[in-house]
Amino acid sequence: MEFIKLAFHNLLRHKLRSMLTLVGIAAAVTALFSIISFNRGFERGLAEEIEKTGLHFMVVPAGCPHEVASLVLHGAVTPKYIQAGVMEEMQGIAGLELISPMLITQLPNPARDRLDMVYGLEMAHITAIKTTWTINGAVPAGSDGILLGAEVAAHDNLNPGDQIRYGDRLFTVTGIIRKTGSQDDAFVYMPIQALQEILSEPGRLTAVGVKVAQPEQLEEITADLTGRVPGIQIVTMNDVLRSLGTLANSAKVLSLSIAAIAMLIGAVGVMNSILMAIFERTQEIGMMRAIGANRQDIFRIIIKETVILTVAGGMTGILFSLIGAGAIEGFVRGIMPYVPSGRLIRFEPWLAASCILFSVILGMAAGVYPSYKASKINPIEAIRG
Amino acid sequence: MIELTNITKNYVRGAEQVQALRGIDLNIAGGEFIAIVGCSGSGKTTLLHILGCLDKPTSGNMRIDGADVAKLPEAKLVRIRRERIGFVFQQFYLIPGLTVFENIALPLVFNRKPKDRDRVMALIELVGLAHRVKHSPSQLSGGEMQRVAIARAMVNNPQVIVADEPTGNLDTATSEKIFALLQALHGTGLTIVMVTHNPDLAGRVGRVLEMKDGRIM
Repeated sequence: MEFIKLAFHNLLRHKLRSMLTLVGIAAAVTALFSIISFNRGFERGLAEEIEKTGLHFMVVPAGCPHEVASLVLHGAVTPKYIQAGVMEEMQGIAGLELISPMLITQLPNPARDRLDMVYGLEMAHITAIKTTWTINGAVPAGSDGILLGAEVAAHDNLNPGDQIRYGDRLFTVTGIIRKTGSQDDAFVYMPIQALQEILSEPGRLTAVGVKVAQPEQLEEITADLTGRVPGIQIVTMNDVLRSLGTLANSAKVLSLSIAAIAMLIGAVGVMNSILMAIFERTQEIGMMRAIGANRQDIFRIIIKETVILTVAGGMTGILFSLIGAGAIEGFVRGIMPYVPSGRLIRFEPWLAASCILFSVILGMAAGVYPSYKASKINPIEAIRG
Repeated sequence: MIELTNITKNYVRGAEQVQALRGIDLNIAGGEFIAIVGCSGSGKTTLLHILGCLDKPTSGNMRIDGADVAKLPEAKLVRIRRERIGFVFQQFYLIPGLTVFENIALPLVFNRKPKDRDRVMALIELVGLAHRVKHSPSQLSGGEMQRVAIARAMVNNPQVIVADEPTGNLDTATSEKIFALLQALHGTGLTIVMVTHNPDLAGRVGRVLEMKDGRIM
């Protein structure tokens, strides 16, 4: 029976109070771990997506950089279009290996009485520009085949071979894209010419993706293109990385401040709870002094109570964040214009250990005053009651 | 064994200066059984705390086995309490979350001694609680709790037991049994100093000190 056991028994005496204090710490650690883990996952996922995209830059109509970035990586419905003739101009430029036109819009789906988000692209380019996709089924070969994002397929319970009508044309689903966890899941993918025909807008484009033959010529080519075609914006993958990085960073500062406040509240909770416990145990502390405990012994017992509380709270917090990871990510995906695909909050042992350590250090800092106060209890006054 | 010469103790209670002891001269020989009686406020508990090295006198001399302890710092006094003194309180002060065994072994933890299972078990037998080893204090009667407290006071092999109204919370029959236990311990050579309000018990010990206004009458 050592001090740690005594401390543990003391906490068990007021199970509800200890539990509530622990939940306070757990909530703070949940926030801290989730936020840091999410940010790391965001940076990692973004870098992976940029690396995997088969394009070097996108030609888009000028607009908000975040919107553009989102458009570049996952597609977004914007009311702006590239002026006609851009494709022709680009075909005249040397050194472009792949020029892939894209049109993103909404189409009425009369059978379901709603608007579908439709992404028109060159089906032949899909393997080159969507390198992360896995397709159950096949990429459409003809002009009346379509691919469905996982959410669209799941929501309407559609399978390869089913048919959907847009305008006066009937399309056959040839494949379903396996869930990516990004906006890609919410689109219907259609051959671009078919989409332009339905809209009666031949040549209308939202963006053009470009892969160059020699990446070292990238700067020359983009400069050339900007000079030749007015009204467009060229977004390289580095621009995207930088723009989203800035967005993520400002979010990080804000969210970490919130986590810091949560930690502070948790620490105050620990201090309050331990102070109350000492107040109630004054006589017992006096007795322990009488039977041979010195001041340091009392200090050690009380500080160990805070350590137990914060270690247990910290571990519970990590558990909470792993359990709640899906919900947290879903929430953030709903409010941020761009979030990389895949799972972002992961269990990283060193990060979990650091968060727990941080909560323990903070808890001990909060426990120092109560422990000191307990060690100063005058045994005679305590016993006299 | 314990010699007090002209011991005084003043302390502040609120705005008031209390003269709890006003010149105590007392010699306690090894193996004595002493009862301290007197009305409340007479200074008997203060005297007991000083004898138990829990409190320091304001002035005067105090020797234990010839060594001057009156001016020792708390760090030295705590060692005397650990090694030579056993405390018993009116309210028992057992730790609720610990078993009977663990409560008795508690002073060993503070004394940095290994948990001597045989010694603790022998004490449990001595106080007649062999069937209660793993029980928690909440499962015990008042008399049983005081037995645990007495065993706890004995675990460090003290020379002196100081008991502050050990039967104050117990009925007459139970008080008798606790008193009998203290007498038995006294029979093994232990020195016992007991504060009590019970004149009947006080009358049956070796020496009675009656206190009034901080003095021994």
